[in-house]
Amino acid sequence: MVAPAWICLLAPLAGALAITLLGRRISRRLAGLLSTGSVAVAFAAALLSFLAALGRDPDDREATSTAWTWLSAGDLEIGLSILVDPLSLVMMLVVTGVGALIVAYSIGYMHDDPEERRFFAYMALFVFSMLTLVLAGNFLILLVGWGLVGLASYLLIGFHHERTSAVAAAKKAFIMNAVGDAAFVLAFFLLIVETGTLDYAGVFGRADELSGTVATLVALGLLGGAVAKSAQIPLHTWLPDAMEGPTPVSALIHAATMVTAGVYLVARMHPLFEAAPSVQDLTAILGAVTLLFAGLVALVQTDIKRVIAYSTMSQIGYMFVAVGIGAYGNGMFHLMTHAFFKALLFLAAGIVIHALLGEQDMRQMGGLRRLLPRTWVFMLVGALALAGMPPLSGFFSKDAIIASSLAAGGGLGYFLFAAGLAGALLTGIYTFRLIFIVFGGEPSPSVRERLHTEHGEGPVSMTATVAVLGVLAVVGGAVQIAGIWHPFADFLDPIVALEREHLALVEPSVTEDWVTSALAVGLGLAGIGIAWRLYGAGRREVAAPRAVRHALEHKLYFDELYNGLFYWPASGIARAFRSLVEGPLIGGSVTGVSSGARGLGRGVGHAQTGYLRTYALAIAAGVAVLALVFVSVR
Amino acid sequence: MANFVVWVVWLAAGLACLGSGVAVVSFTNPFFSALALIANLGSLAVLYLLLAAEFVAAAQVLVYAGAVMVMFLFVIAYLGGQADAPWAGGPTWQRWAAVIAAGALLLEIVMVIGFKAGGRLSDEADITEAFGSPAQLGRLFLTDHLLAFEITSFVLLIAAIGGVILGAHSRRADQVKEVEALQRAQEAARV
Amino acid sequence: MRGPDVTWYLAVAGVLFATGSLGVLLRRSPLIVLLSLEIMLNGANLALIAFARQQGDAEGQIFALAVMAVAASEVVVGLGLIVALARRNVALDVDKLTTLRG
Repeated sequence: MVAPAWICLLAPLAGALAITLLGRRISRRLAGLLSTGSVAVAFAAALLSFLAALGRDPDDREATSTAWTWLSAGDLEIGLSILVDPLSLVMMLVVTGVGALIVAYSIGYMHDDPEERRFFAYMALFVFSMLTLVLAGNFLILLVGWGLVGLASYLLIGFHHERTSAVAAAKKAFIMNAVGDAAFVLAFFLLIVETGTLDYAGVFGRADELSGTVATLVALGLLGGAVAKSAQIPLHTWLPDAMEGPTPVSALIHAATMVTAGVYLVARMHPLFEAAPSVQDLTAILGAVTLLFAGLVALVQTDIKRVIAYSTMSQIGYMFVAVGIGAYGNGMFHLMTHAFFKALLFLAAGIVIHALLGEQDMRQMGGLRRLLPRTWVFMLVGALALAGMPPLSGFFSKDAIIASSLAAGGGLGYFLFAAGLAGALLTGIYTFRLIFIVFGGEPSPSVRERLHTEHGEGPVSMTATVAVLGVLAVVGGAVQIAGIWHPFADFLDPIVALEREHLALVEPSVTEDWVTSALAVGLGLAGIGIAWRLYGAGRREVAAPRAVRHALEHKLYFDELYNGLFYWPASGIARAFRSLVEGPLIGGSVTGVSSGARGLGRGVGHAQTGYLRTYALAIAAGVAVLALVFVSVR
Repeated sequence: MANFVVWVVWLAAGLACLGSGVAVVSFTNPFFSALALIANLGSLAVLYLLLAAEFVAAAQVLVYAGAVMVMFLFVIAYLGGQADAPWAGGPTWQRWAAVIAAGALLLEIVMVIGFKAGGRLSDEADITEAFGSPAQLGRLFLTDHLLAFEITSFVLLIAAIGGVILGAHSRRADQVKEVEALQRAQEAARV
Repeated sequence: MRGPDVTWYLAVAGVLFATGSLGVLLRRSPLIVLLSLEIMLNGANLALIAFARQQGDAEGQIFALAVMAVAASEVVVGLGLIVALARRNVALDVDKLTTLRG
């Protein structure tokens, strides 16, 4: 179980290194194949590991493996260790499986880009980083993976570095993640002080002994990191901008894997979160608020990728709600199905964009149903899964979460329940708004101009991978049907053995499941209907009160707020420093030294008269004085 | 009796020494200055003999008076009229400052000898016959002061090389001049 | 020791040194300056030899021999310089040789 896990971790790294070192000596196609191959190898290894785990007793499915002791400072010993248990296995399979499909897709998508090799190296690097994060056996390795993932995200968002907007978006993503990382690391320091170790086993074992304040602070710090990485309110503004990256990047990083790292984190650290129930509640609340916010803002987006990005934000909100109330199994389940249908949506959108030579504005699209029939089917499948229509995967996972929030009870539970249902309605509206605008009606003049489908809708690499994802989106829900059979939740149960019998804190009853599903599906259908009414006949936009429309289009002014709070003061201070300190003091001191030396030299140079006799006189006089001094001092 | 002879010899040599020293500094003609220096060196050799430094006295005469001064005389003969330059010149303050400096040095030496040293200078060591002999000096050179010996020979080598370099005809410059002259002649012939 | 005491020799040495330094500082011809330099060196040599006799230690004589060798080397280089100057028709006047002016 452990050896394949190491192979899984290191294969993408080997791929990235190979592409980097071979550079121009390999063809662009080969770089793509190398990258895909390495991720595929990782998937195979993850599969092996998974099968090995299945062959074991349910209680025996956890294994740690330490390569060597990395850091040893006083009593603190930290090793380069990985933890292979059901939770990490699930993540490994999702990351490498969906990752391999997406990297394969990119072979076709990035075909025309001259810097393809760099792209594939970065993608392999990203997969490696994400696996590091997921497989980490202690907090420090987790931090390493956390940071590397942020780096890979920065590199890939800013891939088209000639575009200032891309570079700015990359910086924004990195900086916001850095804010989260700071909170993260503070939590680590606190843990080191309070528990003396950074190993998962050690910390979780002592989670109950932490005082309330400490536990809350630690959990808050961890939540900060999770919120930044998963683009939840308040650290969410980077995700829409991150759509500057190529579409496969958006699919892999900002839909399927990296942004779900926050969810994984809360699930992994659940003993710490359970020791600080207020923070867990906060997690759920943030998830619900983000869910609603993102759903509302998605209603007015005009860029096809941005709609899907806000949808991601919203769905991760659902996952946060799940882990916030303790339904870890359901949260992870939704993570998996979401990876399938969100990647499907992004990649299908990528086919549309590719066919339209880079057009991303939905208002320029229309009538693609007959022109790109296969893509239309793929996107429809993805949209239905997203909206939670049975029997597609999204239905099972999303409704499980909403049902769990009903089961959690209490004021918070009901609020979350209502929010989840409202979210289902909004999801239906904005998803099908996209479908109807892009695929319905008549082809717009822009489409007629740009569409080129001489070689079919897209290269085989693109259509085949999307098809696979389509299938997964359909059948992916089969691993867990609420109330009837739940092998998925059972598999995840024994994470970090605790005295409880089941991992999930809440288990919805069958009635609750059915009621919830009925309501959710109903609202979803209602949403689809509303979208049909408003956009089905080819109408583009809807009249709405100007203020509301304005607020939503500006994403509730979060960007402006952060701009005013952080950017302007910081840049003002930086400018002040430059004119007051950098110029006169630092630059000035350096040039001051040089001009001082020169001036001194000029002054002393006056003594160089060139007359031999003056020099000799100086020597003689000097000797006389010195002799006098020596003689008198003795 | 012997003491008296020694005193007389000392006085003669000492006065010759001082006199020739002043002469070196004051003659206008460098040739006469050089001759005065030879006299100075000779009288110093006599004083060295009185101080039981036979080998050094011999070396002084052979090396200094014999080799170095001959070199000086060669150069003075070669330069001839060019070497005549009048006394002093330069800023007046320099002249006075020079005198004061030299005087200060002298004064200090006198003070050190007279006052600081106290009566200790009168204590003289007893010496053997071998004192100052080539054997003793040779042994000292090759054992205690071997480094100084080797370095001194190195310095002499460097001086010799320096002399050769400084004195060498700059053949390249001469050749260039010859070529230029030839070219000018050819041009003139063509025209 | 028969004859004058070390103090007298030292007096002679001192006067020689002072005379030599006067010559170095006041004469304009480089040749004479070199000669005066020799006077100074000889004065120092005399002092060394005198002290060697007084202490009964022959190391002073060793020192004096080394000084002589070095003085010889210095004369070689100095004369070489003067000859080179003369060959290039530069005036042999110490006050005119100011190329090293800073």
